[in-house]
Amino acid sequence: MNAERTKSYVLFPMGAKRFALPAEFVEELARPDRLQTFPHRTPLLTGVLVRRGKIVPVCDVAQVLVGADAPPRKFYLIANREATAHQEWTAIPVTGECALASLEPSRPEAGQPPYVTEVLKTGEEKIAVVDLSKLISPEVTR
Amino acid sequence: MREQRPRPQPGSHEGVILFRVGAFNFAIAAGAVKEIRSMDGVREFAIGGISARVDKLRYTLERGGATYFVVDAARHFQLPASSPSRVLILRNSSTAVLVDSTDRMTDISVLHALPRAFTRDERSWYRGLALVNDEVVPVVNPAAFLNKVEQEIVRQTLERLQGVAVV
Repeated sequence: MNAERTKSYVLFPMGAKRFALPAEFVEELARPDRLQTFPHRTPLLTGVLVRRGKIVPVCDVAQVLVGADAPPRKFYLIANREATAHQEWTAIPVTGECALASLEPSRPEAGQPPYVTEVLKTGEEKIAVVDLSKLISPEVTR
Repeated sequence: MREQRPRPQPGSHEGVILFRVGAFNFAIAAGAVKEIRSMDGVREFAIGGISARVDKLRYTLERGGATYFVVDAARHFQLPASSPSRVLILRNSSTAVLVDSTDRMTDISVLHALPRAFTRDERSWYRGLALVNDEVVPVVNPAAFLNKVEQEIVRQTLERLQGVAVV
């Protein structure tokens, strides 16, 4: 592994697979909190959390990443997401504990979804690094 | 890059009326409401197919010589049919809103911007979000109950039917 090219990532489980976010975007891993809901029409958004005085949208990306059969989500991974020239916290329900890892990224293979920006290899496992803004964009969720 | 922050309103408070539709609580600026009434006088109407084009618009209310177009809030928020019992007559508007119940007036000191992750109709439905006793309550945008396009449909239909009584 080339130390100069390694970067820090937060690896999060989604069912049997793991995905990653660049660590610089991750704010915290939170225990299940009180999910509050109100009427809206945006796909994937399941409600909001109140964390440290902020109202944080909760975006259940499991159905995009692994389909409808994802196991119950246990934690919220709260990450910064670029939203029309602003940074906004977004909570992603994940199915288990997360891990911090320094890994060397490689380019995704052709045919990967547009929200996969890099691929991490650890042993036999290939982990997709996702761009949260692209993942919840209307082009992906419609 | 700027982090999203609640809209600064130093020292200011806004009076809101809390109301309920289906399983959800909402708030509306107290200043936007002229009157809260029972459903007495609310009449179903079917003028020129307006209800077919503006599904949430099914009733009128005659009050003080004025005709108010009554929007069913459950349909507006695309919720299952609920059990309305109150009408909010909006100030400076010919729109009234059918809601299940009104709760109380309260003050909010901060109006949080709707997170940008919300990208659809809710961006026009709500002015923002308020925290009321640790509960996140959307603060509705009164102008969205009958937006300009919908008002235009009503206006054009009524003009076309000029001379026909509104019942």
